Amino acid sequence: MSTEPRTLPADTAPPEPSPALSELAAQEQQLTLDRLLEESRQIRGTSLWSDAWRRLKRRRTAMISMVGLVVLVLLAVLTPLLPLQSPIDKDLKYRRLLPPELTPVTMGSREGLDFAEQSLVAELKRFNAEIAELQQQRNATTDSAERKRIDEIIAGRTKVEHPFNQLWNQLGPVSWTMCQMRVAMFGDYAIPSLFGTDKLGRDLLSRVFWGARVSLIVGVVATLVSLVIGVSYGAIAGYVGGWVDAVMMRIVDILYSIPFIFVVIFLITFLGEDSVKAWLQARGIEQITIFYFVIGAIYWLTMSRVVRGQVLSLRHEQFIEAARTIGASPLRIVFRHLVPNVLGVVIVYLTLTIPAVMLFEAFLSFLGLGVAPPDVSWGQLLNDGVEALSSVKLFWWVVVFPGAALAATLFALNFLGDGVRDALDPKMKNRD
Amino acid sequence: MSPEARKAFLTIAAVCVVAALGWASLFDSLPPAEFSLQSGSDVKTLDPARATGNIEGRILFEIFEGLLKKMPEGDPDPVNGLQAMTPQPGMAESYEVSNDNRRYTFKLRDGVRWTDGTPVTSYDFAWSWQRVLHPATASEYAFHLHAIPFAKAYNEGVVEVGDRVEVELWDRPGETPTGRGTHQNFPRGTILYGTLREIRKPPEPTAEQKKANPDAESEWTEQWLYVVDVAKLDQDGQVDWDGPTERQTFSANLQSPLADETTQRSHGVLVAFDKLGGLETPDPRTLIVNLTDPIPYFPNLVAFYTLFPVHRPTVEKYGSPMFTKAENIVTNGPFKLQLRRLRDRVRLVKNEDYYDADKVSLKSVDFLSMEGENTALNMYETGQLDWVTMPPETVREVLKDREDFYTAPQLSVYFYRLNVARPPLDNVLVRRAIAMAIDRVEIVEEVTKTGQIPATTIVPPGFAGYESAKGFEPNVARARELLAEAGYPGGRGIPRLTILYNTSEGHRSIAEVVQQQLQNNLNIAVELQNMEWGSFLDKVQQTDYQVARAGWIADYPDPNTFLDMWVTGGPQNNTNWSNAEFDKLIAEAARETDPQERMKILQRAEQIWVDELPAIPMYFYTSINIVKPYVRGFAPTAQDVHPLQLLSIDPSRR
Amino acid sequence: MRNLAGYLIRRTGWMLLTLWIVYTVSFILMRSVPGNPFSSERTVPAAIERQLRARYNLDATPTRQYIDYALGIVTRGDLGWSLRLEDYSVNQVLAEGFPVSASLAIFGLVFAVGLGIPAGVISAVYRGSLADVSMMAAAVLGIAVPNFVLASLAILLFVFGLAWFPAAGWGTFNQIVLPALCLGAPVAAYIARLTRAGMLEVLTREHVRTARAKGLSDQAVILKHVLPGAMLPVVSYLGPATAGVLTGSLVLEKIFALPGMGSHFINAALQRDYTLAMGMVLTYTVILFVMNSIVDISYAVIDPRVKLQ
Repeated sequence: MSTEPRTLPADTAPPEPSPALSELAAQEQQLTLDRLLEESRQIRGTSLWSDAWRRLKRRRTAMISMVGLVVLVLLAVLTPLLPLQSPIDKDLKYRRLLPPELTPVTMGSREGLDFAEQSLVAELKRFNAEIAELQQQRNATTDSAERKRIDEIIAGRTKVEHPFNQLWNQLGPVSWTMCQMRVAMFGDYAIPSLFGTDKLGRDLLSRVFWGARVSLIVGVVATLVSLVIGVSYGAIAGYVGGWVDAVMMRIVDILYSIPFIFVVIFLITFLGEDSVKAWLQARGIEQITIFYFVIGAIYWLTMSRVVRGQVLSLRHEQFIEAARTIGASPLRIVFRHLVPNVLGVVIVYLTLTIPAVMLFEAFLSFLGLGVAPPDVSWGQLLNDGVEALSSVKLFWWVVVFPGAALAATLFALNFLGDGVRDALDPKMKNRD
Repeated sequence: MSPEARKAFLTIAAVCVVAALGWASLFDSLPPAEFSLQSGSDVKTLDPARATGNIEGRILFEIFEGLLKKMPEGDPDPVNGLQAMTPQPGMAESYEVSNDNRRYTFKLRDGVRWTDGTPVTSYDFAWSWQRVLHPATASEYAFHLHAIPFAKAYNEGVVEVGDRVEVELWDRPGETPTGRGTHQNFPRGTILYGTLREIRKPPEPTAEQKKANPDAESEWTEQWLYVVDVAKLDQDGQVDWDGPTERQTFSANLQSPLADETTQRSHGVLVAFDKLGGLETPDPRTLIVNLTDPIPYFPNLVAFYTLFPVHRPTVEKYGSPMFTKAENIVTNGPFKLQLRRLRDRVRLVKNEDYYDADKVSLKSVDFLSMEGENTALNMYETGQLDWVTMPPETVREVLKDREDFYTAPQLSVYFYRLNVARPPLDNVLVRRAIAMAIDRVEIVEEVTKTGQIPATTIVPPGFAGYESAKGFEPNVARARELLAEAGYPGGRGIPRLTILYNTSEGHRSIAEVVQQQLQNNLNIAVELQNMEWGSFLDKVQQTDYQVARAGWIADYPDPNTFLDMWVTGGPQNNTNWSNAEFDKLIAEAARETDPQERMKILQRAEQIWVDELPAIPMYFYTSINIVKPYVRGFAPTAQDVHPLQLLSIDPSRR
Repeated sequence: MRNLAGYLIRRTGWMLLTLWIVYTVSFILMRSVPGNPFSSERTVPAAIERQLRARYNLDATPTRQYIDYALGIVTRGDLGWSLRLEDYSVNQVLAEGFPVSASLAIFGLVFAVGLGIPAGVISAVYRGSLADVSMMAAAVLGIAVPNFVLASLAILLFVFGLAWFPAAGWGTFNQIVLPALCLGAPVAAYIARLTRAGMLEVLTREHVRTARAKGLSDQAVILKHVLPGAMLPVVSYLGPATAGVLTGSLVLEKIFALPGMGSHFINAALQRDYTLAMGMVLTYTVILFVMNSIVDISYAVIDPRVKLQ
């Protein structure tokens, strides 16, 4: 993907050797040419990206940030595997608003769960034994109707009565398997409440982890949506210019002023209609997907402005003119030549959009669109946390840990963003 | 742009910034009031007829005063510290009740005055009550007056041929005979009285027309032609009903196909409420109220703000709502309105002309609007606020043990409505199983935390003479049995339930705990769905939900307020629940004259409700207040009413 | 100056067009969301709701309402009566709220600019130094910590820890300091970052090298030749930022109990107060347009090459 103005455009042919030169000279020429071609091939090999990557690797903060982010994403993905406490089990009686502590917790020990031997492992064993017994009954009978009946009971019980349902909320098949592996690996052990507990007696550490899954997906998907819309829109407006640009930008102006809150409420109602629900379900679209798109669709406006401004200043640069002379199509110019050149600005703006989106998610949850309890996100954890920041009694851990998680992620994103921006910027090439 | 222009521009910009800073630093700072309290969000209105909320009520009780007012009776209860509040003489120095409890004679105090110096008379009350009842006032609590003869018909605009009616001509100030009507219903247009002889109606629009044009119905009713035998008034303004009459026709729409050139345009025809003896005002100091039903709680209604008087000349001069502006409003309470700033404060100052002014200690009071619960507590802790009415949930436990914390049971209930038309909740066994599987003690002790009482019936305790029906017994084992009986053994096969609630920390916490309890105890998977207020109400009122959070506060101190809402098709029912026996009992209770017998009938109705459970009661609320120790005279009360005239500040402790 | 006048006329034309479109779209949106302005926990009887609808002209056909309301705005500048704050007209609500939001915004912005630009300049000039790193870290923090968290922490520190300021309320200079700081902090952080980026960009340009070569002092070079060019992104950010800050902050208004406009916007929408919500939307549109126009003019002032178009 070579798109930088510094690299040779792929469609230019090598110059023809002159016929007026002597044989020897021609041979020498040929050699030089070969060498040059060879060289240019090597140059073409170092594209913008590998070049940028090379420079990025030299920035220590950026690399640390990147590693941090990768670890974070991995942890978020693997959360069900970790020996965390249940993110939804509320021990109202004994564990409300506990400060951070180091005493390990046994899974399933809360009285209200009514687990065998007050342990998840024992309960699982008991449950599996019951199912096995049913299975035996099934195998013992020969009556097919009876078999079918028992099969149904087994299926129903595994679905409804499985102890996992008490500790985790609506696990998908992958997470379910991961939870089973977690129990196999760690048994009843769970990491102590290192982050304390919230006002309903849930472990904050595991909520921060489970919340990361939601927040990261929201942040990334919504930002990508806003990126795609905003960059295309802005680049086209800026490149085409004239009245098209004027009209497109006025549309952005208008959209800025449209009260999005009504749009969201309208959407919630619309999506809540039974017919719409059925339509979506038939196509396998979840409400949450639409939710990501809503956020992205709200956040692309500024992005499009930023990109347009950049494109405006770039479109008369020589490399664009060059591309135009060799007959590249406008779309190709916009997406192959212009867009990569505004990436620096876009990336910086992206690092600012992700946190905004994560917090915006909490506001949308307030309106009723977003993750519903008992699932949680960082934004919602923070909202709850701030409620607990009282002058009368300070439950600091409720806000500090989710806040720190969010802040650390954003720090990393910012440093990485700065690094990538600098690495992509040709002018920065020899500055480090 | 030339360099000079640029320089000039920069200079202008600099000047602008400095000027802006200067302007922004000019504060019209207000010296703090002697006493400040938290007042929640902004008050909707200060018009007693239109007001509905607690927050409005708190201010209205201070600036206006009714014939009666809620004041402490006797000493606080030695056990729970509750102060009994009963209706006691306010603007009226005394009142008498006839033996059949159907005729109240109020005698006004001598020398009670409005803040503009004019005397408060019985005419003011009669006029204000009629204003409450007038349909165009759109008073939501107008039903408080429905026990007065013809009040209900007047309020609902129901007239029948043969009724003695009033006709308001289309000549309110600012109206032209052909133009649009003004909604300023006071001052009124010319009023004619007479007997309704006939209502002529054009053909009613068909169902299809109504569907095509939602206004078809109202356009049709506007075309009705009323034929009235208009009577004459004598010198005293009394109607000579049986004297000579003149037949006239009236319609709201002169384009009506039935109208002829003699037809007069009118705002409508209502029963002549004020001429039919429901309210009698023999002299300026006497108001006689006749009731059709002997409702035992009528004095309580009189002490409620809807029945407070408003100053007729002010209302007629400025119109509504302009008469409520601080510079216009004329009131008669212990305090008067000095200033009202949105989202900031309502400042009241002592009314020196109040008849009991010697006993009012506070000189000025600020009702500070604030929505943040932590904000209010912060201001209280730093001394900017003396009374917090909504302390934050998280620290209630800590606050509970402080000496400045007051809590009292309230006549209100928190419950979950069940949509009984949707499976599986159409099955009473499922409803009962869910109700029994919820651990209310856990909710009140660990979530709400301030002494709420777990509820297994719908009527809260505390109504004199009423004994609640026997509630169900929460019991998880029994709940499981019931669920199995209903065809869902072990919770298998039961569809997911969705609990709908309006967005709020408190409601969410409770819903989350209920979610866990139902999952743990019955294996019922519960989803939570929150919505902002507007959409939430819409869903509930369309009964488009499975389970929806709700709360109900007593409108008047009688169990009926918690029961008659459940009658078939009642506007507050919203559950699709219908029970003929229940409806019959409620209707019977309304007619019953013996108070004891009436309470027994209501109890039977409540028993049906408990057996059927169209909703799951959760708990009975408590009121919570935090008041500085230097404030004297504050006592917890069952209705959470705390007249400011009882409060004073102990300077030695401040 | 002529092109300035022409520009202003064109902008005004655009603004009117935008206002009309925004009005239309908002009008349709508001009527299509569920719920109505008169509903409450206790269901309002149908007869009363009908009266209320008549009072606020909501019983007319939608087209009629659309035209009547627009006519009221155009001919009398009257945004109608608020449907929820019954005793107030929308104009009165705005008149009470705007000055508060405006003075808060002025303090917040002055603080943001006063802190952000020097911080950005210093960290660009001393690139890579400890000062640069710590200031940019602070700026990231300023952006990363949501202002409701910041405000709550600030209250704990400055009100309960140090007892410098009152906890909340409005009316004295003391009461405005904390909210203005919290309002300005993220703006300051953005400005610092933009300034720094802009400075770094300009510092490499030819004319700066020339100026240096001429022997001008570092200070003069930075103030006269670098800073103006570096201000362009800051200025273009300030336009929408000012509009945002001016229309108030819901969260800060709640935490500090300020009588600004911000909470009306959300509250009006949530309570279906059509008139107030419309008033807020139109006000916001006007403010945004005015601010963006000022930004465009400032561009022309700062950068001689830019022409007002």
